[in-house]
Amino acid sequence: MKDRQPSNVPPCWSRYTPSAEMPWDVRRVVHLHRRATFAATWREVRRDLEEGPQASIDRLLAAKGGMHGEPDRFAQTADALADSAMGSGDPGRLKAWWVYRMLNSPDPLTERLTLLWHNHFATSNLKINDLAIMRRQNEIFRRHARGRFGTLLRAVVRDPAMLIWLDASVNRKGHPNENLARELMELFTLGISQYTEKDVKEAARSLTGWTMEQGAFREDPSQHDDGAKTILAQTGQWNAEDLVQLLLDHPATAQRLAWRICDLLMGEGTVRSAAVAALAEGLRARNLDIGWAVETVLRSQAFFAPANLGSRVLEPVAYVVGAARALELAKPAPSSMVLADWCGRLGQDLFYPPNVGGWPGGRSWISPHTMIGRANFAAALLETGLVRQARPVDVLALPKCYGRGEDVGAVLAFYSELLLGSVLDPTVQEQLLGSADSRKSATPQTLRRIVARLLASAEAQLG
Amino acid sequence: MLSRRNFLKNAMLLALAPNIPGFLAQTARAAKPEKDRRILVVIQLDGGNDGINTVVPFKDEGYTKHRKLLCLPAEALITVNDSIGLHPALTEASELLNAGQLAMIQGVGYPNPNRSHFESMAIWQTGRLQRGERNGSGWIGNTLDSTTQAAGAAGAVFVGGGQLPDALRGRRSSASALTSAEDLVLSEAVRTKPMVAAQPAGNDLAAFVQRHALDAYAAASRMAEVAHSKQDVAGYPPFELAARLKLVARLIKEDLGARVYYTVQPGYDTHAGQAPNHARLLREWSGAIKAFLDDLAAARLAERVLVLCFSEFGRTVRENGSGGTDHGTAGTVFLAGPSVQAGLRGTMPSLLDLDERHGDLKVTLDFRRIYATLLDRWLECPSDAVLGGRFEPVALLQGG
Repeated sequence: MKDRQPSNVPPCWSRYTPSAEMPWDVRRVVHLHRRATFAATWREVRRDLEEGPQASIDRLLAAKGGMHGEPDRFAQTADALADSAMGSGDPGRLKAWWVYRMLNSPDPLTERLTLLWHNHFATSNLKINDLAIMRRQNEIFRRHARGRFGTLLRAVVRDPAMLIWLDASVNRKGHPNENLARELMELFTLGISQYTEKDVKEAARSLTGWTMEQGAFREDPSQHDDGAKTILAQTGQWNAEDLVQLLLDHPATAQRLAWRICDLLMGEGTVRSAAVAALAEGLRARNLDIGWAVETVLRSQAFFAPANLGSRVLEPVAYVVGAARALELAKPAPSSMVLADWCGRLGQDLFYPPNVGGWPGGRSWISPHTMIGRANFAAALLETGLVRQARPVDVLALPKCYGRGEDVGAVLAFYSELLLGSVLDPTVQEQLLGSADSRKSATPQTLRRIVARLLASAEAQLG
Repeated sequence: MLSRRNFLKNAMLLALAPNIPGFLAQTARAAKPEKDRRILVVIQLDGGNDGINTVVPFKDEGYTKHRKLLCLPAEALITVNDSIGLHPALTEASELLNAGQLAMIQGVGYPNPNRSHFESMAIWQTGRLQRGERNGSGWIGNTLDSTTQAAGAAGAVFVGGGQLPDALRGRRSSASALTSAEDLVLSEAVRTKPMVAAQPAGNDLAAFVQRHALDAYAAASRMAEVAHSKQDVAGYPPFELAARLKLVARLIKEDLGARVYYTVQPGYDTHAGQAPNHARLLREWSGAIKAFLDDLAAARLAERVLVLCFSEFGRTVRENGSGGTDHGTAGTVFLAGPSVQAGLRGTMPSLLDLDERHGDLKVTLDFRRIYATLLDRWLECPSDAVLGGRFEPVALLQGG
């Protein structure tokens, strides 16, 4: 599988090879899964540890992951969940469908990227108010998640969700509405300060005639302004297709796309602008191939560098779904509806991003009440299993299953490796264990609380 | 941004040096006591408050002409001056008025009043009259977009159930929502001191999260203390709005960093049987707001807080056939707090000389001038950009 390595990798994205300084260890396996998926189970950690980095990444890219390893059954269950959401009209069920996918999909990397595009093209059901339209947009994100950015962009901007969200229908010849034009430039492609207000106005004229009819995209030539427009210093009788092509061809789009991918996979302050530029250049040379950029970053030395480990605040969805996944709560599985609800309480309400800019992310996830919320989630997960009939989690089950020690110290060591990828700082460990009644014969409740507090700790918010 | 409380805490940490982690010492040195920021609390009186029966122009001949069942007898009113009296349920509001803490601005609206709850509320929440001018963000969201926020601090907090009001949506900034104080209480299983590593956290981000964990747990434990101690904050009446304002007061005392708090008192859409319902709503509103300001004053925080109360429209001058009133035009806006120019502000429109086109009260003050006042003179954020144009501030606050 060595030939899967992307060709002509830019030097600042050179391939990671394990070394004494940067060994392929539990920490790095956990790191890979934290960033590229929604956390690994201990079985997956051990497997990847044995197979090595490139084979582990091959597996991720080949979409051969997932909890149950039965893709057909997964797809059937997922579709049934989505259909029931449509039938009920309950947005909570649509959220649950997606969380179910994140937890169980054999292709968790694509789910991770689907969430990235949901944030990049942030559309809220608050305005759309139609679950079928939201689901359809989500499927577009998923279908093109790792394809060419142009294909993704074209599919998204012609889809009803975006047309409704950004008022395409009221943008008519002689009555331009700048909403879609502006966000198309500022958020979806070029980024701010790469265009003028005049560009926005002219772009809005190019987009006239795009509208909706009976829930579907339609071009209405009678509403299209076919006069000459000058956009980004190029003059022509541009229509909407031309505009999209102009934007895709602009270097700033590749730059923004490279930034977006680094923003997902790389930590705070770990990427220099030269590295983003190199990735952008590679993207331009490959027709904005998202999959190439994702693979390049995942396989890189920079991705596994010490500075990149634990250098991001886990977004609520990654925190919540990741905890449920790592703990392998399967019989019974936690309610994906309840998990989605917790994501919302912690600030990331799926299908309801706060505005067209998406979730601000990074440090803004952390506030006093979300820190308390995260701790309460950890407690609820361990104490009730988040199932209909509350059932405390047996925290000895996993260490037993994997042949690890069952005394308090060993249990804590196991869970800190599983959840943080590393052994705890000794003083933190001491403080956690300090609450145990007796080191040797801790009650199940004591053990649960230790794991809950570990999951609530500041360290566990980073990934 | 570090609050004063954090600064003091950090000052203590400095005193403990060199036993404290390096990152905390560094932050403590960097912190300066800064000017305490001002806070705006918005109460949305949902449904369209009947301003005429709230601040009553009892001398206006139109009042007895148009209001029969709903006419409040002059002798029952709480006197403000020889032509205006307050609804009898507004005892606490009149105390605030006498204490120089309540401004009542009359005749507030906008050109070409819209009588749809949805449209009119959208106009008030966005500060934009035309649908095409709205881009999904509200006037407070726009304000927070144009001011820098401390990392990790929500610019605005919505207290209450249901959807986040559009007023709080920014193009970039976002507000957080709290349903109840329970959201700030730690589950028993995790109710312990957060753990702190002896070694300085590896990087600035870890230090940041650690610091917020410490702050959050400290706030939660004080919340729990308040919740568990019998000595609750006195004076709050047992109503929903009062409970929400009590939570807002707690959040302000805990210094959680928000500049705007927003809550809703529903129920003002009094199409039928208005008299008892309106009296109840006003009693709850006035009791809650007085308790809130008293609570803040006791904590020496009232000077930092200004309360704005608005409704999407006033109600019809004429009562309808069901003992109620319908969607009207101009209404009354309230500002409360020690910083207001108390008393009657603006000009009460006549109940006889009605707007010809709408057959209802003439608007004598554009609500955007009130927003401009709050933006320019309270939140210190240039109002032009937020409101999409220049609106002349009005003398509503002390010092201009």
